Amino acid sequence: MTKSPKIRVATVWLSGCSGCHMSFLDIDERLIDLAKKITVVYSPIADVKEFPENVDVTLIEGAVANEEQLEMLKKVRTRTKILISLGDCAVDGNVTALRNSWRKSDQAILERAYKDPTDLNAAIPNAVPKLLVNARPLHEIVKVDFYIPGCPPHADLIYYVLTELLAGRTPIMEGRSKYG
Amino acid sequence: MSIGTVKLKIDGVEVNVPENTMILKAAKDTGVVIPTLCNLEGVTSYGGCRLCLVEISGSPKLFPACITPVSNGMEVTTNSDRLKEYRKMVVQMLLAERTHICSVCVADDHCELQAMANQLGVDHVMFERNWSHDEIDSTHDFLVIDRNRCILCTRCIRVCDQIEGVHTLDLKLRGKDSQVIMDLDEHWGNSCSCTSCRKCAKVCPVGAIYIEGEPIEHTKKKDIAEFIIARRNRK
Amino acid sequence: MVKIQQEKTITINPITRIEGHAKVDILLNKDESVKEAIFKVVDFRGFEKFTEGRPFYEMPSITSRACGICPVSHLLASAKACDAIVGVNPPKTAIMLRRLMHMGQLIQSHALNFFHLSSPDLLLGFDSDPAQRNIFGLIEKEPNLAMRGIKLRKFGQEMIEKVAGKKIHSSDWILPGGAKWPLTQERADYLNANLPEALDNTQKTLEIYKKMLDGFEEEIENFGNFPSYYMGLVTADGGLEHYDGKIRIMDKNGKVAAECVDPTKYREFIGEAVEPWSFMKFPYFKAIGYPDGAYRVGPLARLNVASFCGTPLADEELKQFKKLGKNGVVQSTFHYHYARLIELLFCIETAKDLLENPEILSEHVTSKALVNNYEGVGVAEAPRGTLIHHYKVDPQGMITWNNMIIATEHNNIAYNMAITQVAKKYVKSKQLQEGMLNRVEAVIRAFDPCLSCATHAVGRMPLEVKLIDANGQLLDRKIR
Repeated sequence: MTKSPKIRVATVWLSGCSGCHMSFLDIDERLIDLAKKITVVYSPIADVKEFPENVDVTLIEGAVANEEQLEMLKKVRTRTKILISLGDCAVDGNVTALRNSWRKSDQAILERAYKDPTDLNAAIPNAVPKLLVNARPLHEIVKVDFYIPGCPPHADLIYYVLTELLAGRTPIMEGRSKYG
Repeated sequence: MSIGTVKLKIDGVEVNVPENTMILKAAKDTGVVIPTLCNLEGVTSYGGCRLCLVEISGSPKLFPACITPVSNGMEVTTNSDRLKEYRKMVVQMLLAERTHICSVCVADDHCELQAMANQLGVDHVMFERNWSHDEIDSTHDFLVIDRNRCILCTRCIRVCDQIEGVHTLDLKLRGKDSQVIMDLDEHWGNSCSCTSCRKCAKVCPVGAIYIEGEPIEHTKKKDIAEFIIARRNRK
Repeated sequence: MVKIQQEKTITINPITRIEGHAKVDILLNKDESVKEAIFKVVDFRGFEKFTEGRPFYEMPSITSRACGICPVSHLLASAKACDAIVGVNPPKTAIMLRRLMHMGQLIQSHALNFFHLSSPDLLLGFDSDPAQRNIFGLIEKEPNLAMRGIKLRKFGQEMIEKVAGKKIHSSDWILPGGAKWPLTQERADYLNANLPEALDNTQKTLEIYKKMLDGFEEEIENFGNFPSYYMGLVTADGGLEHYDGKIRIMDKNGKVAAECVDPTKYREFIGEAVEPWSFMKFPYFKAIGYPDGAYRVGPLARLNVASFCGTPLADEELKQFKKLGKNGVVQSTFHYHYARLIELLFCIETAKDLLENPEILSEHVTSKALVNNYEGVGVAEAPRGTLIHHYKVDPQGMITWNNMIIATEHNNIAYNMAITQVAKKYVKSKQLQEGMLNRVEAVIRAFDPCLSCATHAVGRMPLEVKLIDANGQLLDRKIR
């Protein structure tokens, strides 16, 4: 009897705090069982450097805050079947998007961070990925197949969604999805 | 059928209620719960949040159950697929209109809007958010208003006017510019009518009005607030 | 991706198995020998700005979201800054519980770095197959060790949860002037019941690791092995400390260079520089100046600046540890791993002591107060080093100004020195192999950077270049 191939799973973090990835690791011992069913083909906690083709499920944490992340998100969308917004930052902006309340928020945060308080050489740097004017949730840029809100989403919820998807079922979010 | 009683169907079940009963109450008396946010027992109904929209056969329109009276032969549907979608849309619109970030809000886990989103399965907001940026008014000794979280349910205004009786709170401007104000748009600390009774904080469904330094779970007890209102209402 | 962009640069992008976003550029000479290496961090959120106008009591909840691995560090530093604003000393039990939560955090964070992030290099090998060189590969090849790691991290997280209600971003529990609810007997019993296993897991891992050390002689010699200053909190009598105490700065030879007894006066000791080509700031020791006043923080630094731990098992280990360096100062970045394991031991012993104190169950955890001071500073030792939150508020308590100096930032200059040293030793651009570049990444992992924290206000670390000789002496410094 041939073994069914492992599902190819990837995780990405954009502009977030990595708390959603930590919450994923909070599935603790269940990680060992999950590891039998999935191959992690790309992740910040694994050593693959280039996002591969033919990914089955990608979990993305964090909002899109700069142009590099924008490009990464678009690339991931073309290379994965199911794209999941993981956590409030990816789902709706959350804390990363608190800056959006300021007009031209990209300029506002740069101005504030580099003038004061700095003891030497106060100046705004100009050699980094260009910030987007607003931090954006993922679905404003690409089509998202599934959302897991929470800050972070509880480990049990992440585990539920993954196992339902692996079993070919659609997870039910009424009563489960919770912001914050 | 005695005078003053109306016969109607709610979700296919026949019910008899006194005339002039609102659909919301008629449904509640028969065990059907229609979701609401701006509704508050003991004060007048407002019909502002639109969560309680129901279908009435014979009309393509939707009707807010809290301010629509029953009539004979009416057939009400409280929970169709269309209504579920619309309710999710309403919650999403509320979340998009101002700045709602549950994770860092004082009302996190004790918020009726958050709970409603959870109940309905709202897992993202399809509308672009406005990211309003109103200044917080913390000039009162302990009452704070953050208008970025206000959903304009007007519970605070109604309870201040109808129960405390001082009408410190009201609305200024219209549409998306509407704001809850104190007196003639004063800072709360300068209000001469406010009695500091805190009912507004108790009935606010979200983290817009709260009491500084008091754990939110002590402040926001809707059932206690409605108890107080019922006691004040007795003749 | 690993890419040779021009003839002259090798880029490692992204650095994996660290927290946050980073790249390394290895710049080559004309003959393709390594000239220098640069550590770049590429995310920026802007906490200093977007917290303006928020009430001070929201700061723990907002700053917690700076990092998902060490949110507790921010909760505590923020809580202490808020305590200063309300002008209240929290009740003793509240402080004990905050400390207990802090121990939980250190346990889970150190376990994460050692087992999930670093041990794939240490146990599977720096040159092993990249597709397997991660926690999943570890689960397959070293299941016992992987299980120890998962359980230790779980225990740390559960300690946080039992105290504060949630494992990650447990801001609901923290209050200016104290905490919201006490510890129940039931939760204390749960933690006590799981302590022995956690202790056993840590001790067994330490034993295994110490036996492996001989096999890492080359790495110990070359992974960021250079003299530097060190900074960390210590108790009044110089013991290991994570929550309170005074800031001690130690020089390269093990002498105390300065002590900031009142951590709120940190600006007299620590300056921040900006380079025009970098988003990340450069903290430096003001008495020496920039950039020679570079210092390191984190587990290695804390064990260097502390004279003792204060708990028996950790003290035994510390004695052995200090023998690894001249004058008891251990200079190799590789030994961050060893230091982390010793701190793990210390935290478990300390948690045990806290839980044995009957006062931990007292219900008096809240103080009542509103704004009394218009400025507050909170300092704590995050897993990765000294963390400072500094707030200014208006009379209503709305934040007017906020500065956060993050643990990882302090190590900024050291990062660049370390990766340059490793690149020069191992990277042969003409016969480039993946394992060589992995070693550059591995020295970064040893520091255990928390870049989401560090880029609360920053986009990229400095393009600072150091030329260091074999003795770790700074020969030259170039700014790009």
